[in-house]
Amino acid sequence: MDTTGAGALIKALEDVGCEVIFGMPGGAILPAYDPLFDSKIRHVLVRHEQGAGHAAQGYAQATGRVGVCMATSGPGATNLVTPLADAYMDSVPIVAITGQVAKSVIGTDAFQEADIRSITLPITKHSYQVHDPADIPRVIAEAFQLAASGRPGPVLVDLPKDVLATATTYTPPKITVPARPVLSPVQIRNAAQLIGSSKRPVFYVGGGVIRSGAAGELQKLAEKTGIPVVTTLMARGAFPDSHPLHLGMPGMHGTVPAVAALQRADLLIALGTRFDDRVTGLLPEFAPHAAVIHADIDPAEISKNRKADVGIVGDCRDVMAALSAVITRKTDLTDWWNYLGGLLTTYPLGYDWPADGMLAPQYVIERISKLTGPEAIYTAGVGQHQMWAAQYVRYERPGSFINSGGAGTMGFAVPAAMGAQTGAPGRTVWAIDGDGCFQMTNQELATCAAEGIPIKVAIINNGNLGMVRQWQTLFYEGRYSNTRLGTHNRHPDFVKLADALGCVGLRCESKSEVDGTILEAMAVHDRPVVVDFVVGQDAQVWPMVAAGTGNDEIMAARGIRPLFDEEV
Amino acid sequence: MTRHSLSLLLRNEPGALARIVVLFSSRGVDVESLSLAPAEQGDLSRLDVVVELQDGRTVHQLIKQLGRIVDVKNVVDRTHDEALELGA
Repeated sequence: MDTTGAGALIKALEDVGCEVIFGMPGGAILPAYDPLFDSKIRHVLVRHEQGAGHAAQGYAQATGRVGVCMATSGPGATNLVTPLADAYMDSVPIVAITGQVAKSVIGTDAFQEADIRSITLPITKHSYQVHDPADIPRVIAEAFQLAASGRPGPVLVDLPKDVLATATTYTPPKITVPARPVLSPVQIRNAAQLIGSSKRPVFYVGGGVIRSGAAGELQKLAEKTGIPVVTTLMARGAFPDSHPLHLGMPGMHGTVPAVAALQRADLLIALGTRFDDRVTGLLPEFAPHAAVIHADIDPAEISKNRKADVGIVGDCRDVMAALSAVITRKTDLTDWWNYLGGLLTTYPLGYDWPADGMLAPQYVIERISKLTGPEAIYTAGVGQHQMWAAQYVRYERPGSFINSGGAGTMGFAVPAAMGAQTGAPGRTVWAIDGDGCFQMTNQELATCAAEGIPIKVAIINNGNLGMVRQWQTLFYEGRYSNTRLGTHNRHPDFVKLADALGCVGLRCESKSEVDGTILEAMAVHDRPVVVDFVVGQDAQVWPMVAAGTGNDEIMAARGIRPLFDEEV
Repeated sequence: MTRHSLSLLLRNEPGALARIVVLFSSRGVDVESLSLAPAEQGDLSRLDVVVELQDGRTVHQLIKQLGRIVDVKNVVDRTHDEALELGA
């Protein structure tokens, strides 16, 4: 087929199954937008390229497919840097397509030139700059395959303008499915032996279980063995919250039973997780009595932070299926469950109502979860509201919680919700956002309004950069340097802002209005809704393990240290 | 600090060397010496590098991280061989 580089690009994207691109045109990428005009691929015209990148991430996580974003050269490309870094940290499969200045002027500081390939070297799985239009179909096929295979991640394809404009012949790309790593039977046997002889084992489950589609295998294996499960921030939804074997989220703001289970365990069965500092606390004090089985598709993660006694390189789904096949009997974990059961009863998640009579943010999130249910998709920004969304929404299925875990990108919620809703138009999508985060990326609500993407946004408006304020309260003697946003004084007025962006704007300030307001938001299907939940500024996220301390010092609430004081 | 000698085979693609050097700098690896030359096989280059690692970081970890780079075909730890060559 005779075409141009640009035509080959769009045809190749169609051939690899791309159904939507989030992007914004500009000078260097302009040739690609011409054949796109006639393509069956949907293009969502964002208002800022960062929104395109996070939307691609939200789409990828909601659908399990590769998300695609597109931008022009220079600033268009550099605006994708944060989403690429975010996708790299959280292993999200996205392909970013960027325009580049013409080959002949690369390296001359041409207008809108930025060396995006070099800029993104440490935050992409791989990247390409294509110099021959005949290579485009192969490069696109490889980029999709690299993004989705092994440990998923972002791939950049940089296309000089003249390459897009040059005539070429389209050759359909060969689409190959890469082989999954073959498991070591010795390591599986060693792991099964450790599991069989342990008295206090825990499944320490990370986002890799969701990426590999292994939630079903996990449930089978957990039920077969009766071993308790903890799900990290990236793994919320990998195991049902309603399941009696589930102890909740571990880590800095994890539940007391989940943190205690890791600390008192004699065996961690770590699956698709990377012993992040937000989970381990002070590393030398993490799970001090535990042997470690660590299964991950990325060999570089095994023994990176904590030495594994048994390391298994493999896809989590294969690993758990193999373990299920060799583990035949349930070990007696009565004593272990007696201990954990006591903690579950004594230290459930809980919160106090603010002394000033304002709304409790946790209550708002609890009610959104209750009234919307587990079939919805929830996204979050970064900060207190994110932790409350991880704690107080009840997740029952993988892919239902999409947030920025590793990078901690404020402003993630709205564009990620836009992408998730595009990929899953039949589901309700709630962006649980903070008043600080919301102001970073809310321009994408104009995109949602214009494109008919009816996301719902709950702004947990505490008037401050709440998590930073919490640290100032706890560690800086209440010196609130630069954390007050003025959003309680309506700078801006979120209801008016929502209206101006083409959304329905609602406000809720008291407990009695919460359910009614959520139901009102749920009744809107033809455009986005923004609810300004005005909540107290002094609510804090508990439990908490202070940064730089060991997990034994977890505080269930301020001043209450259940593990520090106990005799074991 | 521990000292290691590594030998890598790279695809001769634009940016391949940059990827490796950036990995060293972003992971806090000190480069003591580095040499790149065409390899005798196919369209590959051979990179010999002597690095110093911070305490607590292992060369196995670094080898696996280098192995993740798409353009890296092979990584060998030659620390021991080098010691032999030097008669140490």
